[in-house]
Amino acid sequence: MLSIQDSKIKRGGLVLNKNILEIKDLVIQYKTRKGIVKAVNNINLSIEKGETTGIVGETGAGKTTTALGILRLISDPPGKIINGEIIFDGKNLLELSASEMRKIRGDRISMIFQDPMTALNPIMTVGEQIAEVIRLHGKLTVHESMLKAHEMLELVGISKDRYYEYPHQFSGGMKQRVVIAIALACHPSLIIADEPTTALDVTIQAQVLEMMAKLKNDLNTSMILITHDLGIVAEICEKVVIMYAGEIIEAGTVEDIFDRSKHPYTKGLFDSLPDLDEDKVRLRPIPGAMPDPTNLPNGCNFAPRCPFKMPRCEVKEIPTIHFSDTHFIKCLLFANKD
Amino acid sequence: MSLLLKVNNLKKYFKTPKGMLHAVDDVSFSLEEGQTLGIVGESGCGKSTLGRLILRLIENTEGEIIYNNREITKLNKKELKLLRKQMQMIFQDPYSSINPRMRVKDIIGEPMIIYKTFKNKIDYTNKIKKLMDIVGLASRIADSYPHELDGGRRQRIGVARALALNPRFIICDEPVSALDVSIQAQILNLLQDLQAEMDLTYIFITHNLSVVKHISDNICVMYLGKIVEMSNSKELFLQQFHPYTKALLSAIPRPTIHKKADRIILKGELTSPINPIQACRFAPRCLYAKKLCFNEVPKMVEVIPGHFSACHYVKEINKMSSI
Repeated sequence: MLSIQDSKIKRGGLVLNKNILEIKDLVIQYKTRKGIVKAVNNINLSIEKGETTGIVGETGAGKTTTALGILRLISDPPGKIINGEIIFDGKNLLELSASEMRKIRGDRISMIFQDPMTALNPIMTVGEQIAEVIRLHGKLTVHESMLKAHEMLELVGISKDRYYEYPHQFSGGMKQRVVIAIALACHPSLIIADEPTTALDVTIQAQVLEMMAKLKNDLNTSMILITHDLGIVAEICEKVVIMYAGEIIEAGTVEDIFDRSKHPYTKGLFDSLPDLDEDKVRLRPIPGAMPDPTNLPNGCNFAPRCPFKMPRCEVKEIPTIHFSDTHFIKCLLFANKD
Repeated sequence: MSLLLKVNNLKKYFKTPKGMLHAVDDVSFSLEEGQTLGIVGESGCGKSTLGRLILRLIENTEGEIIYNNREITKLNKKELKLLRKQMQMIFQDPYSSINPRMRVKDIIGEPMIIYKTFKNKIDYTNKIKKLMDIVGLASRIADSYPHELDGGRRQRIGVARALALNPRFIICDEPVSALDVSIQAQILNLLQDLQAEMDLTYIFITHNLSVVKHISDNICVMYLGKIVEMSNSKELFLQQFHPYTKALLSAIPRPTIHKKADRIILKGELTSPINPIQACRFAPRCLYAKKLCFNEVPKMVEVIPGHFSACHYVKEINKMSSI
């Protein structure tokens, strides 16, 4: 664990801004035969150092596209980052060359993928996969990186004796631990975890979440957690961003979102959940489905499903309304009538 | 209410190169007409195998399935075909459970063609229209193909197809697991409405405890092929007797920031269901396991009226003076 402290100090000189990541006016689109898929539309987001931000939304809301955008992993074609800035530690990632970007991926920003069954290389031992990241980023020699990989395995609760085993010899929960060990191996400043426990059973999910929360605290890493599970957000996030059809429609601290949510979509999400503590005779789902991203409606994207829809919702540009420094929404219900 | 289904000592063993895999091992329960029985458990606990056994999609190794006062494990092909008209299934993945090369109307109508349950062409089209209406599908998509529709609509097709023959009994195998929460709630409401209107009996298989609580009258909790706890749904969420059920319930992340769950983190993962020893299957992960747990299979006991649990030390763990 000593070496983790060291690397933090080395990077200490760069600490100027309290935000590790700032996304400004990001637009990402995919060109398809059916038209242009507007996956991410003008989002603004900042992540503070040491903080965990949850990005919540349903399938197709643009959560994963945003994450891949940050790492510049959008395959082009068909995808393209049309506009915006992604400022990481004072540098705009969109202006970096491919080789500069490669140095950042896995070292300064790393990613934990949803499906541990496909994220690992099936014909390489798990230990070697962890050591590879450390070696590629030129941190340590071959032998040292092997020792470091041993240390990482123990850190995520796997005996170092299993260094020479292959992914198929591990269960789902153990594989996800290996993926997490790879992500943490170079002590990144930012981890992007894309549905890290969705493929796992609840009792295993509880183990992995507990471990992630602990490691994140020990290493003081910032994290973006992409999920559709509001329960997980309540448990480990400090900030929450709600996405719908490529836009951030509400954002705030966990208290803002869980106690004082304002947007009709956020409220609809909570109403759709069956409750373990309370008896709901009937759920109140949001009617309809998410709009086609190649053909988004005018005005508010949520208007076609919204119970409070007003005529101007369908024609006007929707402003961002701030309730506090942390809490904002995109909804005309709270705008001044003009 | 009358008993619709009774399962006695049902077993299904699969032969594997490493030995016998005990997928479902000595499972017994009963289900009354018009009720919903929830079966919960994690992957590999045998819940889907159990569903398939009851519909006789796979053959059992031992035990009886009594449907409507009739033992059905020995029925021949012809008898089975007649029986299956009453028993239907809704599958987990609406992307792979419907034929991508058939139009919506043909998917829904296929069961009626197989069983010839319509008078003429007009009757057939009307019946399809009515089914689409019942499950909330607009009639304009009758000529569409599944790939043109989203997950929620596809699952509605699956429901309409299951209803096409006016069944009495439907096994729902994780019908909402692949859907987003807002759509999941729509389908759950639909299933509840249909049950009330058509007097359906459901077995609802899922790993999602909040869903199972919402929809079930009774719940069986399974672990490695065995039922470990069985009770009325409300009662089960008030108090759990089996250590596995306790851990399972405490592991669910709750969508609230005011209650911090006292979480029981289980050690390790599922042990292998291949050639299991004659002992409590949960013992290797159990916080309370003692010598007896590794030597003897615990029996299902009625801890309080209507609430069963299979644990040797149920009394001690729950600090009860007598059972």
